[in-house]
Amino acid sequence: MATQAHSLSYAGCNFLRQRLVLSTLSGRPVKIRKIRARDDNPGLRDFEASFIRLLDKITNGSRIEINQTGTTLYYQPGLLCGGSVEHDCSVLRGIGYYLESLLCLAPFMKHPLKIVLRGVTNDQVDPSVDVLKATALPLLKQFGIDGESFELKIVRRGMPPGGGGEVVFSCPVRKVLKPIQLTDPGKIKRIRGMAYSVRVSPQMANRIVDSARSILNKFIPDIYIYTDHMKGVNSGKSPGFGLSLVAETTSGTFLSAELASNPQGQGAAVLPEDLGRNCARLLLEEIYRGGCVDSTNQSLVLLLMTLGQQDVSKVLLGPLSPYTIEFLRHLKSFFQIMFKIETKPCGEELKGGDKVLMTCVGIGFSNLSKTLK
Amino acid sequence: MEAKDQKKHRKKNSGPKAAKKKKRHLQDLQLGDEEDARKRNPKAFAVQSAVRMARSFHRTQDLKTKKHHIPVVDRTPLEPPPIVVVVMGPPKVGKSTLIQCLIRNFTRQKLTEIRGPVTIVSGKKRRLTIIECGCDINMMIDLAKVADLGAKLFYLSGMVHGEYQNQEIHNLGRFITVMKFRPLTWQTSHPYILADRMEDLTNPEDIRTNIKCDRKVSLYGYLRGAHLKNKSQIHMPGVGDFAVSDISFLPDPCALPEQQKKRCLNEKEKLVYAPLSGVGGVLYDKDAVYVDLGGSHGFQDEVGPTHELVQSLISTHSTIDAKMASSRVTLFSDSKPLGSEDIDNQGLMMPKEEKQMDLNTGRMRRKAIFGDEDESGDSDDEEDDEMSEDDGLENGSSDEEAEEEENAEMTDQYMAVKGIKRRKLELEADSEMDLPAFADSDDDLERSSAEEGEEEEADESSEEEDCTAGEKGISGSKAAGEGSKAGLSPANCQSDHVNLEKSLLMKKAALPTFDSGHCTAEEVFASEDESEESSSLSAEEEDSENEEAIRKKLSKPSQVSSGQKLGPQNFIDETSDIENLLKEEEDYKEENNDSKETSGALKWKEDLSRKAAEAFLRQQQAAPNLRKLIYGTVTEDNEEEDDDTREELGGLFRVNQPDRECKHKADSLDCSRFLVEAPHDWDLEEVMNSIRDCFVTGKWEDDKDATKVLAEDEELYGDFEDLETGDVHKGKSGPNTQNEDIEKEVKEEIDPDEEESAKKKHLDKKRKLKEMFDAEYDEGESTYFDDLKGEMQKQAQLNRAEFEDQDDEARVQYEGFRPGMYVRVEIENVPCEFVQNFDPHYPIILGGLGNSEGNVGYVQMRLKKHRWYKKILKSRDPIIFSVGWRRFQTIPLYYIEDHNGRQRLLKYTPQHMHCGAAFWGPITPQGTGFLAIQSVSGIMPDFRIAATGVVLDLDKSIKIVKKLKLTGFPYKIFKNTSFIKGMFNSALEVAKFEGAVIRTVSGIRGQIKKALRAPEGAFRASFEDKLLMSDIVFMRTWYPVSIPAFYNPVTSLLKPVGEKDTWSGMRTTGQLRLAHGIRLKANKDSLYKPILRQKKHFNSLHIPKALQKALPFKNKPKTQAKAGKVPKDRRRPAVIREPHERKILALLDALSTVHSQKMKKAKEQRHLHNKEHFRAKQKEEEEKLKRQKDLRKKLFRIQGQKERRNQKSSLKGAEGQLQ
Repeated sequence: MATQAHSLSYAGCNFLRQRLVLSTLSGRPVKIRKIRARDDNPGLRDFEASFIRLLDKITNGSRIEINQTGTTLYYQPGLLCGGSVEHDCSVLRGIGYYLESLLCLAPFMKHPLKIVLRGVTNDQVDPSVDVLKATALPLLKQFGIDGESFELKIVRRGMPPGGGGEVVFSCPVRKVLKPIQLTDPGKIKRIRGMAYSVRVSPQMANRIVDSARSILNKFIPDIYIYTDHMKGVNSGKSPGFGLSLVAETTSGTFLSAELASNPQGQGAAVLPEDLGRNCARLLLEEIYRGGCVDSTNQSLVLLLMTLGQQDVSKVLLGPLSPYTIEFLRHLKSFFQIMFKIETKPCGEELKGGDKVLMTCVGIGFSNLSKTLK
Repeated sequence: MEAKDQKKHRKKNSGPKAAKKKKRHLQDLQLGDEEDARKRNPKAFAVQSAVRMARSFHRTQDLKTKKHHIPVVDRTPLEPPPIVVVVMGPPKVGKSTLIQCLIRNFTRQKLTEIRGPVTIVSGKKRRLTIIECGCDINMMIDLAKVADLGAKLFYLSGMVHGEYQNQEIHNLGRFITVMKFRPLTWQTSHPYILADRMEDLTNPEDIRTNIKCDRKVSLYGYLRGAHLKNKSQIHMPGVGDFAVSDISFLPDPCALPEQQKKRCLNEKEKLVYAPLSGVGGVLYDKDAVYVDLGGSHGFQDEVGPTHELVQSLISTHSTIDAKMASSRVTLFSDSKPLGSEDIDNQGLMMPKEEKQMDLNTGRMRRKAIFGDEDESGDSDDEEDDEMSEDDGLENGSSDEEAEEEENAEMTDQYMAVKGIKRRKLELEADSEMDLPAFADSDDDLERSSAEEGEEEEADESSEEEDCTAGEKGISGSKAAGEGSKAGLSPANCQSDHVNLEKSLLMKKAALPTFDSGHCTAEEVFASEDESEESSSLSAEEEDSENEEAIRKKLSKPSQVSSGQKLGPQNFIDETSDIENLLKEEEDYKEENNDSKETSGALKWKEDLSRKAAEAFLRQQQAAPNLRKLIYGTVTEDNEEEDDDTREELGGLFRVNQPDRECKHKADSLDCSRFLVEAPHDWDLEEVMNSIRDCFVTGKWEDDKDATKVLAEDEELYGDFEDLETGDVHKGKSGPNTQNEDIEKEVKEEIDPDEEESAKKKHLDKKRKLKEMFDAEYDEGESTYFDDLKGEMQKQAQLNRAEFEDQDDEARVQYEGFRPGMYVRVEIENVPCEFVQNFDPHYPIILGGLGNSEGNVGYVQMRLKKHRWYKKILKSRDPIIFSVGWRRFQTIPLYYIEDHNGRQRLLKYTPQHMHCGAAFWGPITPQGTGFLAIQSVSGIMPDFRIAATGVVLDLDKSIKIVKKLKLTGFPYKIFKNTSFIKGMFNSALEVAKFEGAVIRTVSGIRGQIKKALRAPEGAFRASFEDKLLMSDIVFMRTWYPVSIPAFYNPVTSLLKPVGEKDTWSGMRTTGQLRLAHGIRLKANKDSLYKPILRQKKHFNSLHIPKALQKALPFKNKPKTQAKAGKVPKDRRRPAVIREPHERKILALLDALSTVHSQKMKKAKEQRHLHNKEHFRAKQKEEEEKLKRQKDLRKKLFRIQGQKERRNQKSSLKGAEGQLQ
């Protein structure tokens, strides 16, 4: 009998998504122990359970075993299936939490994925749907994942704690990915943004825009921040507002920053002016960090580079986030891939902080789920 | 006659003469010397029909594009692996002889016996691996998967003295060497090794205790195909799936000659390597050296020295321990030699062993830890440190030299003893070297410590020798060999850390995130150390605490912020290391003070150098530090080792340190966002300026700066534009108006030139446009295909260039082991039969598997029965597939896809058509080809490949259906509604089929409505017409069939020697039945019987009387009125004749018959007679008529003459009268 690929074992609930996603892609089973074992409320949380359910929906033949207390999870991946799926995400985390993993998996399905996700579109913890739409989708296009059906549509906005948002994500499937060479971030030519407000005064968005512009105008004149005020059923169940900013460079790099107001009933009320200013500053921080991919999507780009053909891929990144660093370790244990890491000091140019050049040879991954006709 | 035989003169149609004539002819026609007819006579080639033109254009384009192949990235390595040439054929045709002849042809050496692959250098750039393929289908299949040169027939005329003819062999060799190969997708996308050597590494003790225990083997061979990564999954055809437990590359045993400008190879370079055949000479391995002492011809130049070495090693008689005891060390030139007893007196004990993983090789090392060294060592060190600087310097250098000398002297004898002192010296030397400059990079240190590494190696080896006396002779030379590899020895580690610390101290704000991460990690470490201090009472802990205190003082608080933590690997430093660090720290402090005191005047200078050093350090260190931060100094799965490093209390209790990593981040928030911990103040001008150039409004690089490029292009505007950029560059928005003023002034100044310049500019623009157009036009349209090809080319170049400048150790980490390398692969848990039944004639292939190719699932393939296979294949009959690297037996189901996508089960494969096949087995990428055979055992005269095809789809579930008809019978019939029973067994079943379409045999359609209560499983159904009680109702459904989960790898290599071709797996039902003599029990209903048809009886038609009455006469039944009864008196009595009368009657009858016959004859005769008579009469009549006619003719003639005469005479008279 064919020996099942030896499973990997981890402890703790952190990086659960990475582990499950990589396990699915590599076909190696994974066992996660001690999930909040010493917590007052041990075991998997609702949002994690929801994530596991989502994985179950988009795969075929996965085996998931969770013990009584929920502190141990065994996941034996099946094959990615895709198709039309609907999923109600937990309102404890944003849709971004689920969407980030879907972005990693969607190109390798059997049938093109068309998924409706319901939950919190914008919150303070996870990358919002707006940011992912503005940064992750162009990034995937660099790898040759493109087409008419490739889109992320925000149907309804939902803010925490109530949620009630809805997005539709559809993605075509690919057999192989193209290698990339993203070493020149280019220069920022325009800044776009989206100031949204739901179940509050529509004036909020305008106030955000003005304050954000006041900071960014010092750097570049080409700024346009859209205001998006959703009403009625489209506005979800909780009030809130926020801003996401995206800087686009001449070479097609997107850097993003975002802020959202405190959820209703949690923390002090936030002035839209402060929010706008702080968000603009965050964008400047992101620009200071720089790189060809913004800090949220670092792990995504590294994953897709790993899953490329057996060719050299390169990408210039800003400082690596802790999440990315752990992701690199996971890539090594799941795919035996090590990245060549070169630090590019900023030198004399006024281009922000030091950058890191990541180079790797793809593992020659091919979509095992896709049917040959 | 002779003249006729002469040949007719033939005109030259080609050649110079013809050309000349043609030219002359053209000139005669005054067409000039225009060769091209198209130009000469343009009218003839004018477009006649646009449609035809378009068609011909299409056609040429079609033909052109048909030649294109999809371009692929060229991934062939610079030094490719040897080409695999398989020699195959039936037994006793001279395969071995052919190989021998070929080897002799290429290398001028003679091999007596060919076993396994033979690698030879055949040319300056080409090597060959020749392997013989015996008469076994398993072997053939396996070798076909790795062969580069397979299917070629070559005719050889025959043997002379048991060998083939030299000239023919030479030709064949030439043919092989110039051959070009087509890369196969499977081979280029999977790594594989054709093993040419196998060693059993199992612990002999294990084998002794259990002879059937799983073995650990190492296999050697050239890596081919793609990059192979450590710890990846492999498949050995004929054995099974394994995970690579270790892999390392070795020097090429059959290397290509170095580049020399020569036409051909010299004898030295014509190497041959065939370890299984006993050729190859000395082999240096990771943990052993293998020497083939007898009968070896290879490595002739190396045999001398190695031989000597080996001999000397063999001839050593005393054990290492004995030698150690007797040996003496002179540490300083004037000190007295130290013996082992001295050391014992000092109270030194044997060092503790500690396992450590080398970063580069991924190897395990055992490092010595000297527990007692700490106190004494510390005091020593401190004393040393108190020495004056210059002294130290001198000492250091001299020490180093001394070390090197010693190094040379002491190869493998007593390092363990000396190591302790040595280490201290090293440390001193290191610190001394480091202190003045601060610019020693890792590399430098590594280099400087390369020799030290060597010593450490020797240390280690000597330890090993203590443990295993068996290896003693060999390991010495091995250590020497390995010394060259500058692995990360412990000393190296220390120096790394020294550097690291320094950088931490010196760096202020640079690399905030990385450093902070590091710092916090250390902090964490420190705090934990402190917390556990109470429990662990060792002196080391106190030391480390001291160190931490110092560090805390020095580290800036701003750096302690980020949530980054290090993996435990990075800072699980041995306690001794911590001490060293501490000492370094102190050194540094002292040095700092010194410098301040002595060179107060040159403070700025010092700062300068420090700054430079800082920048340099940052560059040098950032990368390795980051790498270390992420991947750690040790490779993965070192948890066991970590456990070992934990200090033990009194050798009994283990200090239970909670996993630092886990404690802090294991259960924290899972979020990909990278929060800004220490935001900049974006209101400050300098902070804002730090990202100025990130915007298009900022300064551009020289090569991209539009203004600069323009300026270069057009010198005319250079001044003008420069002015503008200068203004922008100042970054002030205030004096814009001023600028404009200046511009205006400038414009005014150059106003008279303006018109001219504008004109010139315009002209220039035009020229540029034209140039661009020309370039585009002349270059030929760069088609999509060309672009694609160019892209691939670029990628290939990048692939080659990216890791070119790195050494193999590092490359292997990033890329994996690349094809062309000679590698050694260690595999564990191999079945013992593999080793016990090892037959070098059979190829051992290690085929690399991609991700999740080791998993099993349902595989769907397009299959076609081979046209030479005589039978058709039956569903559920076990069959052997060869897919990917694997050969396995499985139970396929054949199916065909209906137009609506339904996959319908087939009982048998179609004769000449493709069909689908689905089985449960290993997941293999789509597009992989396969072949199927019925059996691999024995020799069958009518053996054929059963089927071929391609993998289409992989899944974890599959839906193949077969037809199912459910029948039922009406038991109550209303108008169009009937109650049906017998189709289902329960109301639940009916509920599942509500709304389903049903039909009667006679074709009345209907629908299932609802279950009935009365008989279980009955239901109400409505039809389009009324049913009869005799109708049968049926429903067509599809029933999913399950595929048997049977996957049985063909483990032919595990069979005993000589029986390797006898593997037999599961038998088909047919074979089983044949073997057991069981006849198939036929279903009685399925048997054919004679058809008995009952005669059909129809009742007569009955028309009611009323209807008959109403019918018109035409349609009324015509029944004859019955004849009335004949009265009795009129009835004539029946005549009963007497025999006599009957005789008379018979006679009369006969007579009358005779009479009538006579009459008939007479009548005929009369008839004939009459006819004759009639004919005669007719004849007579005719004659009579003729006669009369003649007579009448005569008469009329005479009469006419008479009349004429009369007329004449009358005319005469009249004439006469007239005259």
